[in-house]
Amino acid sequence: MNCYYCGCRLSEHDFCTSCGVDVSMYKRIMYISNRYYNDGLEKATVRDLTGAITSLRQSLKFNKDNIEARNLLGLVYFEMGEVVAALSEWVISKNLRPNKNIADDYIDMIQTNASRLESINTTIKKYNQALIYCQQDSLDLAVIQLKKVLSLNPKFIRAHQLLALLYINNEEWEKARKELLKCSQIDTNNTLTLRYLKEVDNVLNMEENAKPSGRKRGISEDVIKYQSGNETIIQPVNDKEKGGASSLLNIGIGILIGIAAVWFLILPSKVQSEKAEVNKELRTVSEQSDAKSATIDDLNQQISTLTTQNQQLEEQLENYVGTNGTMSIMDELLQAVQVYMETPTEITKIAEYLDKIAEEVVLEDTSESFQTTYQYLLNVVGPTMAEQYYTEGHNAYRSENYADAIPNLEKAVYYDAVHANGDALMYLASSYRNTGEEEKATETYERVIELFPNTERARRAQQAIDEGQE
Amino acid sequence: MINFEEELKKFHPSLEIEDAEEAIYNQDLTDMADILVKMIKEAKDEEE
Repeated sequence: MNCYYCGCRLSEHDFCTSCGVDVSMYKRIMYISNRYYNDGLEKATVRDLTGAITSLRQSLKFNKDNIEARNLLGLVYFEMGEVVAALSEWVISKNLRPNKNIADDYIDMIQTNASRLESINTTIKKYNQALIYCQQDSLDLAVIQLKKVLSLNPKFIRAHQLLALLYINNEEWEKARKELLKCSQIDTNNTLTLRYLKEVDNVLNMEENAKPSGRKRGISEDVIKYQSGNETIIQPVNDKEKGGASSLLNIGIGILIGIAAVWFLILPSKVQSEKAEVNKELRTVSEQSDAKSATIDDLNQQISTLTTQNQQLEEQLENYVGTNGTMSIMDELLQAVQVYMETPTEITKIAEYLDKIAEEVVLEDTSESFQTTYQYLLNVVGPTMAEQYYTEGHNAYRSENYADAIPNLEKAVYYDAVHANGDALMYLASSYRNTGEEEKATETYERVIELFPNTERARRAQQAIDEGQE
Repeated sequence: MINFEEELKKFHPSLEIEDAEEAIYNQDLTDMADILVKMIKEAKDEEE
């Protein structure tokens, strides 16, 4: 303890040994402050938080520098859920004694955890909102809000008390009692809690007394009490049922009611559920069946497609393969080559083989070497055959025998499209026209225009096309 | 019997964190020791 006047450390004397000022009163004030602090500490240890607050406040009224009292006051506030009050005390404490002060740790504990600080602030705001709801007579909303507050801060005494008050107002005595008991667990000697609790207990006792009075009377009537030594024996009176026939009747009626209940209530629902189960299974089976049918259809379609393809391929293969198993067109080409090598003058025979090949196969589908050989032979026999067919075709044309003229001229054009300087094509087109095949005639005239562009022949072909269109 | 309206008046809004600073500044920290020192000082001044 230091002198209030000079700051020097005081001795056991009632005056300051340094400046001589009288410190007896000052010392007494300090002692009283310490006494209150001790009292507050004792109350806080037995959870009489309200009492502790009163004592500690008194202690601080005598000596504001009693740091221990202030820190403890903050701690008590914190325990009661009054976080802002607690913080205030700790901040003042830290201000009065900046070093070696446990308040520093308390403040750090709250301030370093931002989410906790936010949660505390939310709790306070919700409590204030609940209070506003109460004042606005929105008591249901207030109850909801307070429940939220207590879920965040279960030690908030004031929230517990307000909630209990709301329950009391709503005559939910048991709930109110529960809240008040929670308050008592935190602060054992809170006057408001005790007053509410007393009120609630009174109401509950009255209700309890009103209820079992009849029952007690019933018990007293149904039991026989007697003393056996030090013990009181309570023996129930064994009342026998009167009237055996009526009890049998009652049992019968009970059984009938049971059967009726089963018949009308349980059985239909059971049948319904069984039906639903069967329907469900039926649906499942039906879906599976549909899926399988679809698969079978797909497979059948694939089979028919593959069968058709197989047939086509077999036909193609038959065309390619001769009776002795070799490929007939290859055989014919080889025979044409053989004839050409042995007797190159046998142009007609070579041409026969080439005609057969042209009838049986699409040349573009054959191999390159096949096409080359075929083309070579065609070039060899082409001009001679073209001339031969042209002569026959021309003669038939002149005698107006177009049925003979057309195949010969077609062959002539096949072997040599520009044979006789386009005459073969012109006669062929004219033959087509004369036999009424106008479309083929037009196509042939167009071919003349294509092969002999900007010539007199092309002009005549165009003129013929125009005439045909008219 | 508890009167709800009357009891409700005993409940006051709680201080929010934002208001803590103001509450600390406004707190009257004068204690008995201060009053004593002041009284002694005034008595001395009167004597002089």
